[in-house]
Amino acid sequence: MAASKITFPVNAYVIVLFGFILLSLQLMSSATQESSELGEIYSWLLLINALGSVILLGLVGANIVALTRQLKKREAGSKLTIRMMSLFVVLALAPASIVFYFSMQFLHQSIDSWFNVEIDRAMKDALELSQASLDQRMRWHLKQTQQLAAQLETTAPELLSLEIENLRVLSDANEIAVFSDPGKILASSSTNPSDILPSLPDENSWLQLRQNKDYVALAPVHENELMIRVITVIKTSKPQYLQALYPVPVRIADLADSVEFAFVRYQEMNFLRHSLKLSFTLALCLVLLMSLLAAIWVAFISIRHIIAPVKTLVKGTQAVASGHYGQQLPVIAQDDLGFLVESFNDMTQRIAKARTESRLAGLEIENQRAYLETILSNLTAGVISFDVNFKIRTANQAAYRIFRIQVNQFIGHTLLQLAAISTELAEPLVSIQSLIEQADDIWEQRIAFLGHSGRQELLCRGTPLYSQDGLRVGAVVVFDDVTDLIQAQKNAAWGEVARRLAHEIKNPLTPIQLSAERLQHKLADKLEPTDAAILERSTKTIVQQVEAMKEMVDDFSEYAKPSKKQSVAIDLATLVQEVLALYALKSDVEFKTYFEPGLLPINGDPVSIRQVLHNLIKNALEAIESKGVIGIDLHRMQKNNAEFIEIWLTDDGPGIKEEHIEKIFEPYVTTKAKGTGLGLAIVKKIIEEHGGAIRVDVNRKTGAGFILQLPAIHAQSQHS
Amino acid sequence: MLNHASPMPSAKIMVIFWSLLCGMLTLNTSHAENYHAHIDAISIQAINHDYCLSAQVNYALSPKALEALQNGVALYWTIRIKLVTPRAWLWDETITELNLGYRLQYHALLNMYRVKNENSLGQQNYSSLTTALASMAKLDNLPIIKTDVANASDILVKLKVEFEREALPLPLRPVAYLSPSWSLSSEWFTWPLVK
Repeated sequence: MAASKITFPVNAYVIVLFGFILLSLQLMSSATQESSELGEIYSWLLLINALGSVILLGLVGANIVALTRQLKKREAGSKLTIRMMSLFVVLALAPASIVFYFSMQFLHQSIDSWFNVEIDRAMKDALELSQASLDQRMRWHLKQTQQLAAQLETTAPELLSLEIENLRVLSDANEIAVFSDPGKILASSSTNPSDILPSLPDENSWLQLRQNKDYVALAPVHENELMIRVITVIKTSKPQYLQALYPVPVRIADLADSVEFAFVRYQEMNFLRHSLKLSFTLALCLVLLMSLLAAIWVAFISIRHIIAPVKTLVKGTQAVASGHYGQQLPVIAQDDLGFLVESFNDMTQRIAKARTESRLAGLEIENQRAYLETILSNLTAGVISFDVNFKIRTANQAAYRIFRIQVNQFIGHTLLQLAAISTELAEPLVSIQSLIEQADDIWEQRIAFLGHSGRQELLCRGTPLYSQDGLRVGAVVVFDDVTDLIQAQKNAAWGEVARRLAHEIKNPLTPIQLSAERLQHKLADKLEPTDAAILERSTKTIVQQVEAMKEMVDDFSEYAKPSKKQSVAIDLATLVQEVLALYALKSDVEFKTYFEPGLLPINGDPVSIRQVLHNLIKNALEAIESKGVIGIDLHRMQKNNAEFIEIWLTDDGPGIKEEHIEKIFEPYVTTKAKGTGLGLAIVKKIIEEHGGAIRVDVNRKTGAGFILQLPAIHAQSQHS
Repeated sequence: MLNHASPMPSAKIMVIFWSLLCGMLTLNTSHAENYHAHIDAISIQAINHDYCLSAQVNYALSPKALEALQNGVALYWTIRIKLVTPRAWLWDETITELNLGYRLQYHALLNMYRVKNENSLGQQNYSSLTTALASMAKLDNLPIIKTDVANASDILVKLKVEFEREALPLPLRPVAYLSPSWSLSSEWFTWPLVK
């Protein structure tokens, strides 16, 4: 069992990055505080957070691009990722947007609430009050200084220093000084003895003095220390100026400073109101943006981790669907998905096992089927199976051999469709079709038809096929060509008849002939000439008929006697030419011959083969009544992987009637007035004894035609 | 007394970043009025054993900056003086650098403008803004380098008036970087040190 391992969906780097983001946001938040020392790095924090947002945006964008590509490629799990991401974004964005909206509302309203018209007016009034208070003091000091200047108008220049010292003490001024017109110090007095030089007025003060004759202003001498500077003209012959510096009471100065500080602060805040809103909005937007982007990015990573087993499963399923049953997936975690992956692995293992077993079973069945097919195809009997609709399902090679039709090409058709293309086989095929359709049990029937090689007889056996449920599922027909077998049986029977006839009839014929000749010999001289003539004619008739019967019995004997032929190599063409030479005198008969070039050798008895040729030529001559054309064609042919010499012997006589074709090779079958009917029977017997075959050319339209096939031998074996 | 301050790369980066951002955000405001400070005149002469710099700066205040000043916001400028030796394939080598800081603030109670020298810590009150700016505008025979040091190589004097955005109140800083109304600094003004 695999050790259970719990892994976080996000790694340490992500957590550290999140920590940095939070720290940066916290620092930025702290920097906005009034008293914070972080204010100096506020812009940097803003920049860092903006860059962080851009980086996060880039990461999220890259993930979206990658996901879009996966979706286009229809990669496993991409649609599920899209759904989960969409759900997450909606769930994260909705509350964040609401909080953001109300935060913004609250922020703006809070900042706006700091300022109102009353406070604004109060602040201005307070400042104005301070200024009015100071103005009043300044006016009073101006008046006081003007009085001092009036006193100095009559003062002698040498007493000026003493006088201003007295006046300074009397007026509570901090410093009094007298300047000549260009600003040269004529005399001065100060409360601070260390001040050698008096405080000099600036150019602006002189300018104002020249314009207004008097100058009074507040002058901040030191930090938080106010002085009232008053300069007025001393009306003497040469214009002189009296400057007096009066201290502002500390309490008043403090109050004025406080009022000014508050006013300036308020004004500044009021001025910065929009900037403040903008700044807070910016910070809030950055916080929201970074939080959302970071959350979306982490969501991408988390969903990728969650989807990974599902993707693996989908890929595994696709592999199984495409036939890779041995697919095994790695079990990443021991959770529900891990259990699913384990189950998948079990399933694929079982499928693979079942498939192997199924394949082996299939192979076994296939082997058996091939074995059966081999047996069926090598059977001499034709076998055709039919389905429930009596359509051909299978047919073996023997069926083709017997029917001469590629039955295999008619699978799915009925025998009736097969019959439509073969007129010769129409009758037997229709018979078989009707038998299999009607029969409920095993049936057997002989069916005769006129095939390529003459009359053929089939022994058909049919068996309806039933399933285990008793339902009919088809039929099978086994048929065999029993033509040769039946012919052999007939030949054997006729042979026996001939042998008996020869034995039973030939024996009494000689005594009959001898007795008749003896009667002739003994009685001829004793009878009247007329009676003697009758006796002679009768005796001659008896002898002639007995001779005829002897010949007939000899023929029977010939037909019945077993073959005792010599077997030598014969060139069939030479033999045929020798036989035809005997008929050369028949001037009204034209022999048309064709011999395939080269030797046409067979193994056989030359005498028997000559007899065959003589019998057939004689038949032909009789058919054409010794006037016409007889054709002989010799050529090689292939049959059942063996080479044969085929002889076509044709005439242009009246031909053979169809009803005679079937039995023309049987004994005692003749169309002639004279004849034993054994000629063609003997021909057939000789040909078959030589391993050949003879048949009537049923396709011939004019005259009669016989086709003889004799096994050929090779030229080398002929020489040997 | 001069303050020989070190360079401020962080401030430069900040200015570059915000300038780029500003450039991107305010493309349509490129035709806006220019409030950059200008250096109108500069002269360098050897007095005793020093080369002394005299210059006339022309400050300009945008309506926004003026409004901020009137509402009590203190404005800071720094006159940066750099003496550099140009190099063919590298950046200029800085020989010395001087910074003169000024702070301008309006006093509502006194209805006066106070200029404070950040280097000498001395301060002056002026009843008008023009006189206050004029007091910051003039550099008079400011010793910048010893003559024996300056003889060593070719030297360029670079002068720039820089408005200190970072000295503005915190809420105003992002806006100051984004708005051309707060682009009150001058370009670098380069002047050869003629020996």
